[in-house]
Amino acid sequence: MTTDPIVLSDLLAELALRQLPCGGWAALASSSQPAIEPTCYSALALDSAPVGDIARAQDFLLRTQNPNGSWPVFPGDDQEGGWITSLVVMALRDLVPAIPARLQGFHWLLNCAGKEANWFWKWKFRTDDRHVRFDPDKYGWPWFPDTVSWVVPTAFSILALNQIPCSCGGLEQIPFRVNRGIEMLMDRVCPGGGWNAGNGVVYGAALAPHADDTAIALLALRDRAEDPVVQSSVGYLERTAPALTAPCSLAWAILALAAHRRAIASLRTSLIARPDLSSIEDTSTLALACLALDYRRTLSAFGVTV
Amino acid sequence: MSVTRRDFLIGSAALAAGATVTTPFLLPKFHSDQRPNRSRVAILHARQYSNHLDQILAAGLRLFPINVRGKTVVLKPNLVDYIPSNAINTHPLLVLAAVESFRRLGAKSVLVAEGPGHQRDTQLVLSQSGYEQYLRDEKIRFVDLNRDQLIRTPLRASYTGMKDLWLPRTMLEADFLVSMPKIKTHHWSGVTLSLKNMFGIVPGARYGWPKNILHWKGIQESILDLCATVPIHFVIADGIVAMEGNGPLNGKPRPLGTIVLADDPAAADATCARLMGFEPSRIVHIREGSRFLGNASPGLVDQAGEILTAPTSPFQVVPEFQHLHAFRSAHRLTGGETQISRWKW
Repeated sequence: MTTDPIVLSDLLAELALRQLPCGGWAALASSSQPAIEPTCYSALALDSAPVGDIARAQDFLLRTQNPNGSWPVFPGDDQEGGWITSLVVMALRDLVPAIPARLQGFHWLLNCAGKEANWFWKWKFRTDDRHVRFDPDKYGWPWFPDTVSWVVPTAFSILALNQIPCSCGGLEQIPFRVNRGIEMLMDRVCPGGGWNAGNGVVYGAALAPHADDTAIALLALRDRAEDPVVQSSVGYLERTAPALTAPCSLAWAILALAAHRRAIASLRTSLIARPDLSSIEDTSTLALACLALDYRRTLSAFGVTV
Repeated sequence: MSVTRRDFLIGSAALAAGATVTTPFLLPKFHSDQRPNRSRVAILHARQYSNHLDQILAAGLRLFPINVRGKTVVLKPNLVDYIPSNAINTHPLLVLAAVESFRRLGAKSVLVAEGPGHQRDTQLVLSQSGYEQYLRDEKIRFVDLNRDQLIRTPLRASYTGMKDLWLPRTMLEADFLVSMPKIKTHHWSGVTLSLKNMFGIVPGARYGWPKNILHWKGIQESILDLCATVPIHFVIADGIVAMEGNGPLNGKPRPLGTIVLADDPAAADATCARLMGFEPSRIVHIREGSRFLGNASPGLVDQAGEILTAPTSPFQVVPEFQHLHAFRSAHRLTGGETQISRWKW
C-alpha cells in the first residue's frame, strides 16, 4: 500500500530533478525556460525537504526582481511586473536577506490596483459598460497592470499582504487595500457560491464557479469563515472536490478545505491514487500536489491559520 | 489672385501638418497582404459526432491540394472551459479525426495545442471535455499553450498599437497550423470562428486568465494583429452542434450538422457567418481581415461540398450584435432552408 509520505518523497525527488541549473524551474517538464510561478511553488514544496537546492532557488528569485520591486513572469520578460509578485514575497518569507526585496514587492503590490480603481473607469462601468455585474468601488488586483481586478491575483495579494506584521513605513495602506480586496471577492462571488475567474454574472447569465479559483479565494478569506458567502462557497467546493479529475484543482481544493477545517482524507487518497502523478508535465501542478500532501506546512507558509 | 510667398509658406505648412495627422489613418495597418488569388471552402454534412468523422473529414481534405508530408501539423481546437451540456468546445472526436487524417497524409507529427482562456487548470478542461482519454489512447501529444516556452514576437499588424507579444514556441515553429474553432456567437466580438480562435495561443501565464490585455487593446484589433503574426494554414470548423445566443460560454447549443473546411481563414469565417445567418462584412475582424488575411468575397472563393445555405432562422445574438443578421431580399424556398443566393449579403 502506498502511503502519503512515500508518495510525497517520490514527488519531491521528481521536483528536485526538474530544477534547472539557474536555480529555477520551467513551467513544463519539456521546457528549459525558467519561470517564476513554478519556481515559487517548488521552493515552497522543497522548503524543508532533504532534496533540491532551495538556496539556489531563492537566489534565483532574488536575482529576477524587477527594478520597480515587482517580479516578472520569467527572466527576460518585460519589467512592469505582475501578479506573481504576491507569490514570490510568500516564497521568500523566511529568508532574512530577502527582507528588502520583499518590502519592495509589498510596496509594488500596494501601488498596483485593478483598472476600475480609477475614477474614469469606475464611472464608465457604472454608466455605460454594464454587461458584467460588479461594483467597481470594490476592487482588488489585476493579473498585470492596466487591466481590471480578477479573483486569483486578488486572493494571492491578500494572502501576501496579510503576512506583514505591521502597516508602517509607507505600508499604511495595507488594511485598506486588503479590505477592499476582500469586498471585491465577496462582491464577485457566483450565485450559489464559488468563484469564476472574475465575475459571477455576465450578460444576465450566472457563470459557473471554478474549483481552483474558489479554493484560492477561500484561502484568502479564511478569516471570514462565518460569512454566508464563504460558507456557501465552501459548500460548493465540498460538493465538487470529490469529482475533480485533475490534480491541480484537487490540490487547491485540499488546501482550502483543510484551511476551513473540512474533511480532506478522501481527497488526499484520490490525489495519491493518481498513477501518473510524478510524470505530470506541468511543474506547478507537481509542486502543488506536494504542497497539498503537506498541507499543514503549506497553510502556514501562506499565513493561513487553521 | 496673387499668391504671396507668405501665403505659400503658410499653405505648405498647413498641408504638411494635415498630412502628418491623416497619413497614419490612411496607411494600411498590416505589414503584408497574405491573401491568395483564390480560396477554397468545403462544407461537409455531418449529422452527429461519431467514429465516422474521420471518413467524412478524409473525403473533405481530398478536395484540397494539401501537402503536409514530413511537416509538423499543429491542431488548435477551441477549448475554453467546460460546462455540462453546453456546446462550448470543439468536439474531441472531430480533433481525433483530424489527427488521423493528417497522419495518413504523411505528416511528420500531429499535435494538439491550446491555452484555455478562462480555466487555468488545463488538465481539468481536457479531462472534463473528454479530450484526455482520446489523447492518451491515441498517443497524441498535447501542448498547454498557457505554459509553453515563450518567444517575444514582433506583431505583423498594428491594429492594437502593441509592438510585440510573447507567444508560444510550439505555434511559431508549426509547419502547418490548423485552426479548429467551434462555430459560436460571442457576446464581445459577435462570432468566434477560426480567426478569434487564435486568442487561445496567447499565453495565460504571461497575460492572465482571461487574456484581459487583449480585451483592453480591442478584441477585434487583437484578432487581426494575432492572425497577421501567426498565419493559419487551414481551417476545420466544428458546426455539427454550434452555439447561439450568449456565447462563448452560456449560449444555447444549435445543431447545424456541418463541418467547414477552408484553406483561408477569412473565407472560412465568412462562410461560417453566412451559415449562421450573418452578414460577414458587418463583423469587424472578418471585414478588415479580408483586406489582407484572406478572401471573404464569394466571388473569390471556390465552393465545394454541400451547397451554402443560410438557416431558416438566423443564430440568436445578444442585442448589441443584432445588426449582424443578414436580411432577406426574396421569398423563402420551401423545405425549411433558403439558398444563399436568395439572401441579400
